[in-house]
Amino acid sequence: MPAAPTILERPQRWDAAFDAGMTDTDVGRLLATAPFSEMDAEKFPKRTPLREILRNDTRILKFRKGEIIVRQGDYGTSAFLILKGASRVVLKPDLAPSLLGRQAPGKKGVFRTLAQLWNGSRPPEIFSRSQLRQAAGLGARQTKNEVRVFLQDLPRVLNEHRTERMTAGDLFGEIAALSRMPRTATIFADSDDAELFEIRWQGLRDLMKYDDALRAHINKIYRERALASYLRATPMFQHLTEEQLERVAAQIEFATYGDYDWSGEYKRLAQAGTVRPEKEPVIVQEGDYPNGAVLLRAGFARLSQKFGGGERTLNYIGAGQIFGLQEIAHNWRTPDAPVNSQFTLRAIGYAHLLIVPTRVMEEIVLPSLPKDELPAPIEVAQDERDSPPAAENGVREKVGAEVLEFLTENRFFNGTASMVIDLDRCTRCDDCVRACASTHDNNPRFLRHGPAAGSLMVANACMHCADPVCMIGCPTGAIHRESFAGQVVINPDTCIGCKACFNNCPYDAIRMVEIRDANGEFMVDQEMKPIAKATKCDLCVENHGGPACERACPHGALSRLNLNNLDALAKWLKL
Amino acid sequence: MKRFRRQFFLGMFALITATVGALWLHVKFSQALPDYAFLTGWILFAAMLGLTFFNARKKLPFLSLGRAETWLQIHIYLGFFTVALFLIHLNFRGPHGWFEVTLAWLFALVSASGVVGLVFSRTLPRRLAARGGEAIFEKIPVLRHALKTEAENLALGADAKSPVIAEFYTKRLAAFFAGPKNLWLHFVESRRPLNALAAELDDLRRFANDAEREKIAKLATLVRQKDGLDYHRSLQLALKLWLFVHIPLTYGLLVFTALHVVLVFGFSGGAR
Repeated sequence: MPAAPTILERPQRWDAAFDAGMTDTDVGRLLATAPFSEMDAEKFPKRTPLREILRNDTRILKFRKGEIIVRQGDYGTSAFLILKGASRVVLKPDLAPSLLGRQAPGKKGVFRTLAQLWNGSRPPEIFSRSQLRQAAGLGARQTKNEVRVFLQDLPRVLNEHRTERMTAGDLFGEIAALSRMPRTATIFADSDDAELFEIRWQGLRDLMKYDDALRAHINKIYRERALASYLRATPMFQHLTEEQLERVAAQIEFATYGDYDWSGEYKRLAQAGTVRPEKEPVIVQEGDYPNGAVLLRAGFARLSQKFGGGERTLNYIGAGQIFGLQEIAHNWRTPDAPVNSQFTLRAIGYAHLLIVPTRVMEEIVLPSLPKDELPAPIEVAQDERDSPPAAENGVREKVGAEVLEFLTENRFFNGTASMVIDLDRCTRCDDCVRACASTHDNNPRFLRHGPAAGSLMVANACMHCADPVCMIGCPTGAIHRESFAGQVVINPDTCIGCKACFNNCPYDAIRMVEIRDANGEFMVDQEMKPIAKATKCDLCVENHGGPACERACPHGALSRLNLNNLDALAKWLKL
Repeated sequence: MKRFRRQFFLGMFALITATVGALWLHVKFSQALPDYAFLTGWILFAAMLGLTFFNARKKLPFLSLGRAETWLQIHIYLGFFTVALFLIHLNFRGPHGWFEVTLAWLFALVSASGVVGLVFSRTLPRRLAARGGEAIFEKIPVLRHALKTEAENLALGADAKSPVIAEFYTKRLAAFFAGPKNLWLHFVESRRPLNALAAELDDLRRFANDAEREKIAKLATLVRQKDGLDYHRSLQLALKLWLFVHIPLTYGLLVFTALHVVLVFGFSGGAR
């Protein structure tokens, strides 16, 4: 007899509110405040009423003067509205890394490098008391549930940096929240009674969907602040005049597919072994008319094609890549023999897109492109197509179908410096592990083990993701990028061991380690609980010569590769 | 394979050129130079020191001393060249006396273990990768214990209730799961023990009911997994053990070589 099914309530969007402490009074107060007071609640559907969005997707935070609200370079998935008091945005010059809880970029000096010669026998992760104090100029205070970092010498900061005051009614952080881009400036509270309304991206997305004024306002800001510079840097628009570029920017549509919080869901599905491509949201369906060229601004998408009863992955595309250009260019040049979309495009995790409508492409963009920059015409076979065009097939053949599926299923394309091991050459000698330990306080920062496809293994090491979800929610800014698009590193001195990054990392590449004093004894707090710090691979950013693991492999079996670039992988596989 | 092939051809070219050159110099100058044995001895000693620096490089990964891969390539080809230098230094004659014989034997064993290591390093990883079921060597006992516990629960646990399986487990499988097995047979790629156990498990199905057959199938899976672990242990052990021969012998060789230098200088009245 089959076992009885487990019956439970279907999970709902608001099962986990952003802040379970939001009361009716709070929601009522928000509804009486602009811009919510100006929104037409009737326009919101019954399933997602305005009141419930405010109750479940928002929270109210209080800050004291000098407390940092957002840091430049951090990733965040929420926007802020000042309800009371004031905040200040730092314009120029940027705050020093130490004031943001980060370590100053730079290499180890000669003496620190040589000191490693006699540190080899020390117990791992030794810290001194002075290292555990906040950097000069920074202070930290514990609120109910979180740690707030504040700028101690505020007059000096104001004196040395150009800042701008923001007051009640000002909105900030919306672009970073909606496009999953790093925050562009640091903002701190400028009054002791600063009260801010924070809304997570799902709520902001819904508010924009049903409130025309907010959508127009945010889209205007997006176009003014972020879009123009992005388009200027995109090769497809290089030949446009300023006036043409403005026309294109004015007509671009924004879209987000999938879920910015994909990592938690992915982690759960991966553990259950139920990651399924068909559950990924479809952006463009194979066979549909191409409505526009799709520019991937952030996130990843899977390119697939029907094959037998299912779909096979042909490639994946990441930020900066364009989809649909070939079809649109073909139809523009040969209107008598139009083609539909050759592939299906699905968001993997999430994808933030800019869509240039086909009409705009045909009228403005395509005529500006030199002939040699136009994609080749599509050759449509007479019979039913059973193989993808050469370009896409080439990608699949370069690395092999099994490897492509493997990388996509495991979402390894996120890694810009993934540790790949050729098992055909790896003698399992662990020289890489020892080299890592020697360079990092005798604590190896990775595990020489991980998922494998054939002879290719992706080891359990930080991949320095293009979308570093680990960087979301660090209260002290300890985890950060070393440069704008550089390595993701943790400043051990300012890490408070809150596990936010550890829990966020979908690849389990971050480890919590208990730290010790100079005598090798574990450091403990007043409750005698060990003090832990988050550790992970930092790509030997402080060492000369690059990652020690890669340099230490005697058999050329280990490499740090950008898996977003399949050409690099193909080249390495064919070494 | 382009890079590795290029490395191979470059290394072979350098080795052959250097060896032919050394032999030519030997033929030309061995009789002409009065201190020829000293000269070849010092060159040989320098080459041996150069070979041992590879190990030092491994111990200093935080210094920018170049890629270990390059060092290994140099180590391999310089190692082969050192054999030629050694024969030249001996003037292609056998060693005399117990000290020289010991020194020569140490040299031969270090060289032979190096060649064995090279062959292992180039062949065993492929076999491990082809077999699959990758396991970290140090974790194999833990994984084996987990398999043993699972198999024991299946055959002897409180809800096992199958005398057929219990008897078979006690007689045939308990010892198999208890520790590493078939070290040599795995090394020579023999599947005989696994096939024998699989056949016996298959045979056992004749005496089992449906529920027991399901358990037998699960046991067969566990047997295959355990066999895979043993395979990994066997080959990974080989990949580690040759170094336990090569490195201590190298230290012994260096000590004897230093003594050899002292003795030569002691009995020859010093360097001339």
